[in-house]
Amino acid sequence: MLATLEPGLQTHNSAASVRIAVKGLDFYYNEHKALKNINLDFRDRHVTALIGPSGCGKSTLLRIFNRIYSLYPEQRATGEVLLDGQNIIGNGIDINELRSRIGMVFQKPTPFPMSIYDNVAFGIRLYEKPAKSELDDRVEAALRRSALWDEVKDKLKMSGMGLSGGQQQRLCIARTIAQKPEVILFDEPTSALDPISTGKIEDLLEQLKSEFTIVIVTHNMQQAARISAYTAFMYLGEVIEFDTTNNIFLNPGKKQTQDYVTGRFG
Amino acid sequence: MGANMGPLKDQTVANRASVHRGVSGGLFDPIFRNASFIAALLVLVLLAGIMISMIVGGWPAFREMGFGFLTSSVWDTQNDKYGAWPAIVGTLSTAVIALVIGLPLSLGIAVYLTQLAPPWLKQPVATTIELLAAVPSIIYGMWGLFVFVPLFATYVQQPVSRIVEGMPVVGTIFYAASPSGLGILSAGFILAFMIIPFIASITRDMLEQIPSVLRESAYGIGATTWEVVRYVLVPQAGISIIGAVMLGLGRALGETMAVTFVVGNANRLSASIMDPGSTIASRIANEFNEAIGLQLNALIALGCILFFVTFVVLVIARLLVARVKRY
Repeated sequence: MLATLEPGLQTHNSAASVRIAVKGLDFYYNEHKALKNINLDFRDRHVTALIGPSGCGKSTLLRIFNRIYSLYPEQRATGEVLLDGQNIIGNGIDINELRSRIGMVFQKPTPFPMSIYDNVAFGIRLYEKPAKSELDDRVEAALRRSALWDEVKDKLKMSGMGLSGGQQQRLCIARTIAQKPEVILFDEPTSALDPISTGKIEDLLEQLKSEFTIVIVTHNMQQAARISAYTAFMYLGEVIEFDTTNNIFLNPGKKQTQDYVTGRFG
Repeated sequence: MGANMGPLKDQTVANRASVHRGVSGGLFDPIFRNASFIAALLVLVLLAGIMISMIVGGWPAFREMGFGFLTSSVWDTQNDKYGAWPAIVGTLSTAVIALVIGLPLSLGIAVYLTQLAPPWLKQPVATTIELLAAVPSIIYGMWGLFVFVPLFATYVQQPVSRIVEGMPVVGTIFYAASPSGLGILSAGFILAFMIIPFIASITRDMLEQIPSVLRESAYGIGATTWEVVRYVLVPQAGISIIGAVMLGLGRALGETMAVTFVVGNANRLSASIMDPGSTIASRIANEFNEAIGLQLNALIALGCILFFVTFVVLVIARLLVARVKRY
């Protein structure tokens, strides 16, 4: 089991600055406390994986970073989530602007009901008014970065809904990176995809981390080991252990962590 | 049956089956098949029967007046001269006005209920919409005539007529020669009230069925509520919304009772939507009782036209849906 995990491909630079700092974060669904006193640092241009059994709160945590939870009045967060020093769960935050800085890719591909080109251009157009030629360039660049360009360059006017599941997910990644966000959140981005599509998305993540701070929630521990530099193991709404991916998988400090990463429970 | 089962066992099973089901299984199936076939056939026979009797009944009017029946504005029972043009125009214009007023309101209701309304308000409003859809059309007609029409005359027709009088184009379309409150626009309003519950509740259902992850990802790249609704949710529900609109249009075209109350039942064509007019359905409802001879034929011919117009609407709806699907 451990042989297949083989972390260590991921180097990490502990001098990298902290992009998102979570301090004393609690989260509630109505009265139910789903996250308890979370404290985590997410480093700039590194991949941080959140792992843990279903219901441990890892997706909940991810959804706090771009305030998706604010769509639901029964959900609320207390504490601090600092993005470059600014508390993004406080009052006076322009949520829409925040979401353009912190992109998110979901469990299932979510192409919008419009052409492939417009899907990618949609996010850019929300906040900028580039000239047609510049927009074309940025759409192409985003599609190239998401390794989709060669497959769609002849059918940019066709609906994004007509692509395969893996292509749709890469389209969603293109849509997100076209906005040039600082942070990208991935919520189990490959759980609905076949192994080949999953491989392509993982390769993509590998390239994106040089430019973006990435937080990924995954159920797949090999995936976490392969692509992340840091890993947080969560259980029942708490962070049990947070360390370099190397240490989490090869030399965990807590027995619970070891049991989970070796597949003894979860 | 498995190969290891002996012949004796097979025999037993076969016996038991025949004991339980007897011969009825062999007899009942064909009866059932034929009965359901006849039921299905009945629909076709019914439609064909209606079409044939409408064409046969309306034929004398078409023969007498020729193509002019469609384009003539005359409706003269003394000299037996009939033309369908004012009624066709009235039917189409009231239905279009109803859609122009009703569609934005319906979309607004559906979007508010699914995206913006606080939970405590959602259910009451949704239930009210369903109840509105169940109100009989005669009630809309009475309410329209006794409540809406006088208010409309006093607060809309009279002031608007004063303002637009003498203006080019606008003065023609919105000037009421006799501001009684009755007219094409009033009928359009009443029809709008009648189709709003249909379009709103279907659209609401469709928006509700859109997976929340699509909505979240649209918000997730920083779109405002308006942008999410306008560019993602409504297009996503597009086909179904067109279906809902066509359903509403169908109802507006054929609606008889409420329209007859408020449309004014004028047999002449006016360029102003404030003036009284008539629709195909209101014309038929008004005159069917006393109609004899060619007048009766003319009314049936009107019915044929309504039939045809509704059919065309349905075909256009299908084509629209097909176009959206391809995209």
